Amino acid sequence: MTTPEPVVELEPQKPITRNWKSKGRILGIPISLMAIWAALYIASSAIPALPVPGMAGMITINAIMTAISGMILGPAAAIANAAGGIVAMMLFPYGFSAGPLGFLTVTMGGLVAGLLFADKWVLAAIAEILIIGSWFVNPKSWQPGMWLIPLPYSAIALLVIIIPPVRKWMRTSILTLHKVWMWPAVFLMCTVGHAAEFLTTNTMVNWMFNLSYQYWVPTMPYWVMVDTVVIAVSTAVGVGVLIGLRKARLPQYADNLEK
Amino acid sequence: MMNISQSTLNSPLQKLDGRTKLIALMVIFILALVFSNPFVVVGLLALVLITWWIARIPWSLIKDIMQFFLVIAIIILVVQVFFYPGKINLFRISDPIKFIGFSGYITLDGIEFGIAMVLRLVVIMIVAPLMVLTTPLPDFMLALVKLKVPYRFAFIMTTALSLLPSIQTHSGIIQQAQLCRGVTDFEGKNAWLKIKASAGLLVPLILGTFRDSQTLDVAMSSRAFGAPVKRTFLLESHFRAADIILLVFSFLLLAGGIYLRVRGFGIL
Repeated sequence: MTTPEPVVELEPQKPITRNWKSKGRILGIPISLMAIWAALYIASSAIPALPVPGMAGMITINAIMTAISGMILGPAAAIANAAGGIVAMMLFPYGFSAGPLGFLTVTMGGLVAGLLFADKWVLAAIAEILIIGSWFVNPKSWQPGMWLIPLPYSAIALLVIIIPPVRKWMRTSILTLHKVWMWPAVFLMCTVGHAAEFLTTNTMVNWMFNLSYQYWVPTMPYWVMVDTVVIAVSTAVGVGVLIGLRKARLPQYADNLEK
Repeated sequence: MMNISQSTLNSPLQKLDGRTKLIALMVIFILALVFSNPFVVVGLLALVLITWWIARIPWSLIKDIMQFFLVIAIIILVVQVFFYPGKINLFRISDPIKFIGFSGYITLDGIEFGIAMVLRLVVIMIVAPLMVLTTPLPDFMLALVKLKVPYRFAFIMTTALSLLPSIQTHSGIIQQAQLCRGVTDFEGKNAWLKIKASAGLLVPLILGTFRDSQTLDVAMSSRAFGAPVKRTFLLESHFRAADIILLVFSFLLLAGGIYLRVRGFGIL
């Protein structure tokens, strides 16, 4: 007769958590993914798309990457964009009209949109207010008509950030990949990212090249057109990428939110 | 498009420590931004061009960069020439047009300031590629880490740079596939069609490379990326005599530049 083996009580296995503190991750995003994003960013900086009147540069396809980065990488987009921006600035300087600190513009674009997507809306609002406020630090920004420049998209971005129903509807539509509402929601998210980028750029070039209302006011319709085109194309790319990432079960920031 | 390979050009600049080159680069950037006198900026431009020649980088690269810049350089020149509030009138064009802020005169200061702004941009644009084109990737990364840039950030930058040729190849393959389907807008002149075509390029490119990121993730994990041990480097860098000479020269240039700027020299 054999005695039954004593039942060994196994300690419950600790769940493997890969949170934002994990070594191979920054703010919840794998470093490998951020490196890939930075590489994509650099590659897209090599493709000029639209000229910038009166400035040292071209609007390159990287504007699209900045606009959609927040939805894909969350706040980590700021770091990935910064890394890509620094290298891209050295290799393809024509895409950076703001000169040596040009990478800050794409960093801010990723940061504001990423914070908003991560539902850190207070931080996003503070960053956006700082960006808008910095435009008015330059005495030239008090010239006639200069207050118009941040109005079209930065004001919309701020409203999207601070109005709770809009913010919640936008995030939910993107996270659930709603068939219809996802499109306007991604459009608004791209607006937030792009607005932060372009107003930071405007503020910096204003200081660097001594630009005044004689430059900004006449070229404003052109800017509104360019921004609209960039945001519209970013929306098409953003929707395609978000759906593709979900279908292919590839990593993205939304995975962290679902957990 | 500038095609970037991982090889750097063999030149005296390549032998310098990466930190030295990064510091010298920052000095040129700062000096280009603090001076607005065209004669001073011409001096900086000459310095950069000499360095370009020493680095043995093809002059055609400058042409590549400048072709994006020529028309807009003319525009920035015109804006400054017409609207800079100068004091020395050269000639009169019309009556003052107050609502656009035009005094009616073309001024010497306006022309000088316009030229300085254009030259400032040229300096900023052509100095930056010097760093990347003369520094091998491992040296670049080592320089960043030794300058106390967080290792993970430096890793992202250098990995991105090393992945660039592969992404450019991916991009080429996708463009070829699109061409087979009759999409020919990538290289056209029409900006709208080009930006619209970019959507068809970016979506598959992003998804394809995101898939590759998983392989990279596994490779990093298998090499214990982020393990809590003191990191060592395969390569070591040390300042040599040439580095010290260049560093001293850079610091003297920066200190002298700031002193002169504070004394009111080199600005309009």
